[in-house]
Amino acid sequence: MKSLTGKTLLAIATLTYLFMWVPTIILIVFSFSNDKLGIRWEGFTLKWYAEIFNNAAVRNALEMSLIIAIITIVVSTVAGTVTAYGLYKYKFRGKEVIRMSLLLPIVMPYIVTAGALLIFFTRVVDIPLGYPSILIAHISFSTPLAVFIVLGRMQRIDWSLEEASMDLGAGRLTTWRRITLPLLMPAVIASAVLIFPWSFSDFTITFFVAGVGNTTLPIYVYSALRWGETAAVNAIGAIFVALPLIGLLLINFLQKKRVI
Amino acid sequence: MENRESIPCVELRNLVKRFPGVTAVDHVSLKVEKGKVFSLLGPSGCGKTTALRIIAGLETMDEGDVLIDGKVINDVPAYKRDCSIVFQTLALFPHMTVEANVSYGLEQRKVPKDEIRKRIGEMVDLMGLGGMEKRRPSQLSGGQQQRVALARSLILSPKVLLLDEPLASLDRKLRKGMQVELKRIQREVGITFLYVTHDQKEALSLSDTIAVMDKGKLEQVGTPEEIYETPRTKRVADFIGASNIFPGKVTASGNGKVQLETEGGLRVIALEDKDIRSEEVTGISVHPELVEILPEGTGLEGDNRFKGRIVEMIYQGDFIETKICLDQTGGLITSYLSSRLNRETQFSPGEEVLVRWSPESSNILLG
Amino acid sequence: MPRGACPERHEILRYAQNDTKRRARNDKGMFFGSFQTAFRIVGEMPGNLREKIRKYLAKQAHLPSVGPVSIWTILFVIAPLGFILYFSFLTAGDFGRILPIFTLENYQALARPVVAEVFLRTLLFSLATTMICLLLGYPLAYFIVMYGGRWRIHLLLLVILPEWTSYLIRLYAIRMLSGRAGLINSALLSLGLISSPLGILYNPSAVVLTLVYGWLPLMVLPVYASLVGLNPSLLEASADLGATPFRRFFTVTLPLTKGGILAGIILVFIPCIGDWLVPLLMGGTKTFMAGNLVYLHFISAANIPAGSTIGVALTAIVLIIMYLCIKAGGKEATERII
Repeated sequence: MKSLTGKTLLAIATLTYLFMWVPTIILIVFSFSNDKLGIRWEGFTLKWYAEIFNNAAVRNALEMSLIIAIITIVVSTVAGTVTAYGLYKYKFRGKEVIRMSLLLPIVMPYIVTAGALLIFFTRVVDIPLGYPSILIAHISFSTPLAVFIVLGRMQRIDWSLEEASMDLGAGRLTTWRRITLPLLMPAVIASAVLIFPWSFSDFTITFFVAGVGNTTLPIYVYSALRWGETAAVNAIGAIFVALPLIGLLLINFLQKKRVI
Repeated sequence: MENRESIPCVELRNLVKRFPGVTAVDHVSLKVEKGKVFSLLGPSGCGKTTALRIIAGLETMDEGDVLIDGKVINDVPAYKRDCSIVFQTLALFPHMTVEANVSYGLEQRKVPKDEIRKRIGEMVDLMGLGGMEKRRPSQLSGGQQQRVALARSLILSPKVLLLDEPLASLDRKLRKGMQVELKRIQREVGITFLYVTHDQKEALSLSDTIAVMDKGKLEQVGTPEEIYETPRTKRVADFIGASNIFPGKVTASGNGKVQLETEGGLRVIALEDKDIRSEEVTGISVHPELVEILPEGTGLEGDNRFKGRIVEMIYQGDFIETKICLDQTGGLITSYLSSRLNRETQFSPGEEVLVRWSPESSNILLG
Repeated sequence: MPRGACPERHEILRYAQNDTKRRARNDKGMFFGSFQTAFRIVGEMPGNLREKIRKYLAKQAHLPSVGPVSIWTILFVIAPLGFILYFSFLTAGDFGRILPIFTLENYQALARPVVAEVFLRTLLFSLATTMICLLLGYPLAYFIVMYGGRWRIHLLLLVILPEWTSYLIRLYAIRMLSGRAGLINSALLSLGLISSPLGILYNPSAVVLTLVYGWLPLMVLPVYASLVGLNPSLLEASADLGATPFRRFFTVTLPLTKGGILAGIILVFIPCIGDWLVPLLMGGTKTFMAGNLVYLHFISAANIPAGSTIGVALTAIVLIIMYLCIKAGGKEATERII
């Protein structure tokens, strides 16, 4: 780095990166420590990771988080893509209203949506707390994400490709399947990549609407913190960090294998 | 009993298409002959691309009919029509190989695989695309992409091939080469081409018939010679390069000639045309290359001789675009002065000269 | 039957016979049968009525794609928000009951010193956090874009990755580091530098710093996006016209990235005002924020109207901020979510 500006920026950048990562890195490091409280170094061990897989509560929470995340991704990407298509292609009254209201779940503070949904599920309509309520909440948040990401991609596509396909004899459905969808794939995958971590690690909204006895992984972490059983938390935390990383590497690998 | 051969390949009857605020296609009727190249020529926004898209089925018409091979196809959706369009942007599927692109249409028709392979082989030979079957569009040059787009459409043997300014994005040299290619391919394959362009030179060199459009209306239909040498309206004349236009009315006739008096008071002589009534004439046009420049002293006797002063000479290589201000009216006349000639005569700006053209060169305008 | 031709009796009979045979052949059961009938009726309608129906259906073409999600949004996004607005005007009964008595006392309660203090604190914390995030995040984004080169994407991902891990875990990591029983304290204690644990965390600046730690990535993203979209020839033109780098930044770069800055402000400020985990995990009741009040009312005290009121107040603040930002920056600010 040559200039003074460059050096200053490098300094600021480095400090900021450290600021953001040091706590997490230390947490990961200490997840390998043989200390019950997970804050002192008492020797290297993998037992906390083992405990995760042996501990039924953790396994169930992990399972619940995964199931919810996967269902959310599938529903939200499909619904999001279809809606984005309709929003992009057609002109109709109320389009702006729909776009604005799709923005709502993303912009609202989590605590407000959490509370509103809880009240709605318990006092207004009778939706069971647990998988139904959590799924509804997650899908309500994730679909707008998918809509906007796919919409953004749509603005950069050459739509005469669809016309060419139809001109060559392919009907609407075939065109959609062979031309439109492949062209939208990067955006669909991008939304899946964004939705998964959000759904998997969401705490506030899930906590409010989960009801008694339904534990996702973040909820488990919360209870563990409340009751002081912190050692396993380090290991779980490391997993939370590792997951998106693995996901990203997977995407990278997949992108190299097939062309966008 | 109508002869099968005389049924036009494509026919438009009174086609109208309106967009908010503008009528893009205004009661256009035309017939496209089988096996020939038919061009829609006009400035940007004249409605030619819209008309093409209506024929392809990508736009709906408000009024009128589109017929292919004598059958009305107004309600037939695009994917069932027997025509194929080559887009200006080519619209090659970026995520498919050249092979997959070209075979796409055949796959939609459920043509068996070995038949597809055979036809692709023939098309690749015809287009000179050998060795590129497995590449993707992004790995091809502009000219190669052109040919893939053509191959993709031609392999379906459509009744008519619609081309929307396909050469617009190519540079000059490539464009000339592709024009020759296109003509060769059309001759070999024998399919009717319906070609849209704003480049009059392109239209003149490629077409068997040209239809000039402006602001949604059909101005004139004819062979390239007819369009170039006898444009019938001011707009066509201007567009085709007969840029010397004199609005006026017929004031006398006789001896096989007619005399017009222009708004500026010039007396212009043209040859009489028996099929045109004098009342319909609105002016005449003259191609710049038919306007001669003579030294000042030459006599004024004879038809279409006027005195003037050279105000501008723009060197264009093989000719010099010369603008002369006429003494009588103050209006400008454009002449293409041959560079070779000017080496002898040495005209220069500011010089007083005489311009003249023969009555045969005067083209009568009707609108 | 040919249209317009006047049918003979035997022709009618023959047509009816064939028609029935055709229908019997085609009848695939009631469901498809009704479609067949519908199509036939439509097919035999006078031309312009069919045209009118076709045009009407074409106008509704957007419904199948946009409809389902719109209905979902009305049901599960707008309705719940509408209901907390409704409930905020009702009275709380015993055992968490909501009494249908209209009252404004929930809103009046907002003015009580205890509550007002919390709101003020929330706003102050959020403002401070947003400012610091801007001051740290913009240079960071600028660094990545201008000096990142090949590593741009990697550097960006390094910033975003924390955002994808659990917020809870990240907060715990801070507590693990700086809490009373945390790493720093135990290290200092064991080194004999202090005699009792420091209360590093239990004060406002710690809360603000933790909030910055939590939400900084969301400021970097939109700023990065708008910096990346900058047309470099604009900067070149500015230099060519004689502007120093300093000037260039303030007259060209900054104004053109306004959209990204505003988006970043929205993306940081709004989660901040609703944050309840930082005070919960880090501080005591002394650092409570508005979000904690919501939790208290809804979960602990089962006082729905009171909690709803806080929610409405927070929503109002969000809407005001968004309105201000849109006014200041135009629609593109809202579109920069990713």
